[in-house]
Formats: sequence, C-alpha cells, structure tokens
Amino acid sequence: MTWSTVKRALFVFAALLLAVPAAAQETPVKGGTAIVILGSDPEHLNVGISTSYPTGAVGANIYSGLVRSRADGRPEGDLASSWTVSDDNLTYTFKLRQANFHDGTPVTSADVVYSMLQIEAPNHGRFKTAYDQIASIEAPDAETVVITLKVPYAPLLSLLTVFDAPVLPKHVFEGTDPLTNPANDAPIGSGPFKFASWVRGERVEIVRNDDYFLDEALLDKIIFRIVPQDVARSTALEVGEADLLWGFYMPPADLPRLASDPNLNTWTGITIPALYFVFINTNTPGLDDVRVRQAIMYAVDRDQVVEQAQGGLGQAGSGPFGAGFAYAYDESTDYRTRYPFDQEKAKALLAEAGVSGLQLRFVYDSARGAFAAAGDIMRDQLRQVGIDLVLQPAERAVMVDRVYKGDYDLTMQSFTSSGDPTIGYHRIYRSAAPGTPFVNATGYSNPDIDAWLDQAGGLADQDARAEYYARINEVLANDVPVMVMFDELASEASSGNLRGMRTLLDQRDGLEFLWFAKP
Amino acid sequence: MAAEGGGNGLALYALRRLINAVPLVLGVVVVNFVLIALAPGDPVMSLIGEYPAPAEYVERVRQDFGLDKSVPERLWLYLVNVAKGDLGFSFANRQPVLDLLLQRLGRTLVLMLSTVVVASTVGLFLGVIAARKPGSVTDRGATGFALVGYAVPEFWLGQILILVFAVLLGWLPAGGFRSVRVEYTGMAASLDMFRHMLLPMAALSFRYMAITTRLTRASLLEVMSSQYIVAARGRGLSENTILWRHALRAAALPVVTVIGYNFGFIVAGSALVETVFGWPGIGRLMYDSIYTRDYPVLLGILLFVSMTVIVVNLITDAFYAVLDPRVRY
Repeated sequence: MTWSTVKRALFVFAALLLAVPAAAQETPVKGGTAIVILGSDPEHLNVGISTSYPTGAVGANIYSGLVRSRADGRPEGDLASSWTVSDDNLTYTFKLRQANFHDGTPVTSADVVYSMLQIEAPNHGRFKTAYDQIASIEAPDAETVVITLKVPYAPLLSLLTVFDAPVLPKHVFEGTDPLTNPANDAPIGSGPFKFASWVRGERVEIVRNDDYFLDEALLDKIIFRIVPQDVARSTALEVGEADLLWGFYMPPADLPRLASDPNLNTWTGITIPALYFVFINTNTPGLDDVRVRQAIMYAVDRDQVVEQAQGGLGQAGSGPFGAGFAYAYDESTDYRTRYPFDQEKAKALLAEAGVSGLQLRFVYDSARGAFAAAGDIMRDQLRQVGIDLVLQPAERAVMVDRVYKGDYDLTMQSFTSSGDPTIGYHRIYRSAAPGTPFVNATGYSNPDIDAWLDQAGGLADQDARAEYYARINEVLANDVPVMVMFDELASEASSGNLRGMRTLLDQRDGLEFLWFAKP
Repeated sequence: MAAEGGGNGLALYALRRLINAVPLVLGVVVVNFVLIALAPGDPVMSLIGEYPAPAEYVERVRQDFGLDKSVPERLWLYLVNVAKGDLGFSFANRQPVLDLLLQRLGRTLVLMLSTVVVASTVGLFLGVIAARKPGSVTDRGATGFALVGYAVPEFWLGQILILVFAVLLGWLPAGGFRSVRVEYTGMAASLDMFRHMLLPMAALSFRYMAITTRLTRASLLEVMSSQYIVAARGRGLSENTILWRHALRAAALPVVTVIGYNFGFIVAGSALVETVFGWPGIGRLMYDSIYTRDYPVLLGILLFVSMTVIVVNLITDAFYAVLDPRVRY
C-alpha cells in the first residue's frame, strides 16, 4: 500500500465519520427526477441478449432477475421470494413472488423458463457459461422454478441476476426472433421502473412502476443522458446538468477536481472486483521464454502505473485473480513480493535467456487514457532493460480484432470479475483456440491449470476452492502469461443531495433506492 | 459556355452538372464501401457486449446483417438497394438508415446553416474593415484574429468555450440540444434550443470566420488597386461608396467559392463539435457509427455529405451569375 493510498483511505474514513451522523437523520422522500450519465447509446434495452454495459445500465432497472446481490455481495430474492438448495448442491428450487409485468400480465414460472432456455442460453454470453453447467430448468407449477445442475457450480446464484438472466415476458417474445423483437427498444419488464421514451443520441427516460412487487422506487423518473465525451461528462455534473456519474463512464483523472467541488459528493472503493491486465503473447519469439516474461514483471514499476496512469485509483496487482476474493488470493505467491520492481534482476534474466534487442508491440484501445499512460510508463521502464516497446494505439474494434487473433506482443485489457473469478477471470487462463474475443489471448495452455480451474469453479465451499486456487496461483506466478497490473478502485461522483447509491452490488443496478435529500 | 444568358441557360447548366454528378456519387459510394470493408474491425463485436458470446450467436448476427457474404456481393446488393432509395439497416441502432438520418438531419442543418451565415457575415465584415486601412490597428486586429481562428482546432475551442461560458460564468448550457431538467414547449423550446446552440455554433464558425476574413481582405486589396476603382476615385466618389458598392461585389467572387467549398469541411467539423457538445446530429452519428463499425449508417452519411457538397457547389455557381453580370451560363 503506497502512502497516497493510505492518505486516501484515511480521508475516506474521516469523511465517513462526518457523513454517517448527518445521513442517519435523513429519511428517504419520494419524488424527483435524477439525471444519470451514459457514455453511449445502448444498442437496445434487452439485457437478455447482450452483455453490453449501457444496455445493462438501463435494462437492469426495467427488468428483474430471480435474485439480486446486495452491496456486500449477499444474494437476496428479487422475483424469487425464497430458494432451497439440495444437499448435493445440484438442485436449486425457487419460489416466485406475486408480480406483474408492466403491461399487467402476471409473471409466472413459464416466463422464467422461457427466458432462460429460449432467449438467454443461445444469446447471452455470461448466462451461456452457467447454462453449460445446467442439466435442466423446469417449472413444476406456476410459482416454482427448479434448476438442476450437471455438476456443483458455485457462481450459479450470481448468474441469475437481472444482468445475466432477466425474466422476459414470454407472451411478448414467443414466436418471434428475440434479436429483432420491437420490445428490445421499448421493453416490458417487471422491474421498479417502466420504459418511457428514448431519443437516440440524447436520452432514455424511465418512470416509476407503481405496481412493483418490492419496495417502490423513490424517484418519479430517471433520465439517462448520453454524453459521449469524458470531459463533457464531468462538466455536466459540475454545472448541474446531471446528478450521477459512475462506473465505466467516470473519468478517473477528473476525480480530484470533482471531489473539491462543494456541490458534489465523490466515492471510491470496490464494488465488483475488476482487474487491469497486460497480456503477454506467448507465441511471440522471445516471449515464449518464461524468463523473458518474468523479466518484464521485474522491469515494470506497477505502483508507478497506478499512481500516474490511474490517478492512484488502484492497487498494484497481487495475483492472477487479484486481491478481491480471499479464497482466490494467496499471500505466498503475491506478485508484489515475488516480483518487486528490480531492473537489475530483469536484465540478468534477459541475459540468461540470451535475448537482446527485443522489440515488442504494445496494442491498446486508444479511447482508454489509462492504457495510453501505462504504455508510456512501460516504454520508458522497458527501455532501461533493453526492450524496445512500440506503442500501437488502435480503435476498440480494431484492437479487439488484432488482440484476439494474436496480432500483438503486449496488450492492456481490463476485465470485471462479474462477482466471481469463475465468470470473469477463468476465461483468461483457460486454454482456448485463437479468434474468440474476450478469452485467453496469450496462447498460454496448461492442462493442469484447465483442470484446476474447472474444479475451483464447481465447488461451493470456499476453503475447498481456495486449495485449487493456491495451486493455480503457484504455477501462474512462475509462468506469468499475464502481468496483472492492478486491482481497480471504482469511483463515482454525484450531486450533493442525491442519496441511496450502491445499495446493490452493481453500481448500475438498484436505482429504485435513489432519492434526493431536501436542501 | 453558351452566351445567350437568362434563367434557361442556368437551368440547362444545372441539369448537365447534376447528370455529371451521377458517376461522381457512384464513385464515392463504391470507394467508401470498399475502404470500409477493407478496414479492420468487426461490427458484430460492438453488438455482443464485453463478454465472449456463443459462437452460434455471433454467426447468426452475422447472417442477419448479411455480413457473411463476400465484399463484391455486399457492394452489389448495396448499390441495388440505394438505387431503390433504401440505404440499409443500422446494426447499432436497429432501424432503417434513412429514418435515422432524417431524425438527425434537422439538428445538424440548423447548426451548419447558422454557422455558415454567421461565419460568412462576420468574416466578410471583418475583412472589409481590415482592407479599408491596410496596416492600421483594425487591420492588424482582424488579421491577427484570423490567424488565431485558423490555427485553433474546433474540439479544443469547444472545450474552452464550455469552460468559460458554462462552468466559470454559468451563462450557457454545457451540452445537449435542449434542457434536461425542464421541458419547454413552443417559443420557449426554440429559445432553449438556441441557447444550447450558441456555443457549438461559435466553436464551429471560428475557423470559417477566419478564412472568410483573410480572403475578403486579400481579395478586396487586389480589387481596390484595379483601374476601375482608381477611375471611381477620380470621379470623386466617397471611399465608402467605392468599397461597399463597387469593390466588394467584385471581391466577393472568390469568397463565395470558398464558402461553398468549405461546406464539406463544416460537416467534418461538426463531427468533432457535436461530439464535444453532445449535440445529437449527423456529425455525432458519424462519430458513433465509426466507433461501432455501423457500416450502413457511415455509408449513408458519406453519401449524404457528398450529395450536399455537389448541390452547394451548384448553388455557388448560380451565385456567381448574380454577383457578376459578366458570368453567364
């Protein structure tokens, strides 16, 4: 932990001490309109057929899932009032609440089964990973859904939230192509807000659902305003043209400025753990030698990258799965002690490998400021050990194409864990054929690792999972196909009188808890 | 060129120009299509989100949008459809490209036309007062302004304007094309939109104001030293009459050419300015569709831009005849 992180932690702590008594006196009030910023238009609003970030931001507040995750990660019933798990961890039985879709039709178990089998399993990337572990999804009666697994699968519940398995109205989708159904642009869900209108390029409006089955939303209306430029997003908040800026859309560089504005509140912390990685292409001559990869680990000062490229919003990478999951973290293989910043050691390893004059291409998404800054720092530091790093910024579409077809040497990427390393991170280390976006792009393949990943993903017991992760950590700490740059700290900025943010785990979810304190 | 003159000649000339424009537009479409098809990046990627999608799903999306066909096949289909007035279907927006363009067109035209009017008027005026007394303080001020205006990039100027007028002074909104918190109707709505338009318009006009100023000044200085002006002076006409009535009309010809010529650049500039100000027009749409590889939309916009440039140039030519009686079609 660097000094500035300590200072920041102290500051946050002090702020909490001050803020808690004030907040405790406030009682939530109904009414008002909040303006929430999006960086781009959603492609459509159907969370059941896309993992896209803006689609989730709007759609999560219109649809409901079976369960939802509180801010501390604890699952609770959303459409499900309760559930039971069989002793062998294979059968999950969910009881549904009395709920209606926004068109007045009751939500039944048939909608749940239809959504999962007909819409999400074939079309939704993350739900598909869960579905591969599922033997059957059945509806014995109108209020009951039974999911039977092939093997125990720990992250099942976190894949039954609105982001992965939203319950869509069967009567709207049946007999149509779910990809082109007009309801994708004017969704009918059962969530706390109803879709109201959408002017592409400008805004999406949702209004309170007065027939909601849980606690009714406090705000009358939420306007998602689309502001493509990151500088303009911070400005919109400063001049009072928006109330909430979060997640992917928050420019970390602007945080100190927004924090000093007396009319705004800012927050930093971890909600869903996310990691920034540098993938090392093991098919590049030179990088196929483990000593060269280790030399790169020694040669880069990851603390400096956090400070300068990420505005201090992070913690130097500690292992393949970060420090966010206690069971997947292993102190004995912590990269921060295993690979301290040591350029002499890096030079020695390169000499031992007989590598000199290595020239590497660093491919990254040009729209990501932190990637560019990290590239600059890495170029300087790698030059000290005799590696020439050539920065190759590319537009996102080009970057995805190049990286996942293996046309790069080093690349920076950021992945979210989605609440479980099995969902978010296993795909980075498991063997995969080249060409599939967002999976293993390093060419690293180790049958032991593949087997252990499957084991770790299947167990519900965290101690048992920890054993497998310890083995994986040990091998990967030596092989380092991926340099884990840092664990990301999320940040958020909001109007001074907005309350109720981050009640649920995903910052985009749970907007029904938002309310405005009286000035 | 036929010398009989009159409206008939102009109409025939316009018709001939339009017929000549057909192969030009066709060329533009084909070149753009091939360039975009050869560029790296897969439009399907922006549709599936940030998580690996099932391979069958990706394949199905590809088929839905006809992206599984070869480039020549897709080009042929595209040309046939365009000839029928169908510009295709947007991947990212999931609606017909033509509808999308029409929705955004009005907002961009308002911005562009006011930019052209303001930039030309102010630019002409500054050019004239600069040329009146070359070397004077006014002249140096105007040319200095023109130099700066020409050098400043639009997106940077836009951000500075936001900083000064929206953040520091709080006089004008920072972005968008209408207020988000309040819904106005009727006159108030127009006024609200006008307030939102001032800063993007200023950012977009600066450069063209500068070009027009410099060109007007140079052109006027040249005309002012010609023999007929010397003759006018000899007849004892006042300097103001000579400048505004005799010299400006002749000097305006190259200026009009440049205004017309710059129309295409204003569309390009609007992509940057609309993005900085969150103005949901054609420029923003172009920026977004490049980012998401939304080919049909991008092609539609490029087609629209090239047709606009052709039409504007035609109008420019017609203007020559009005300005200069010696020009006949």
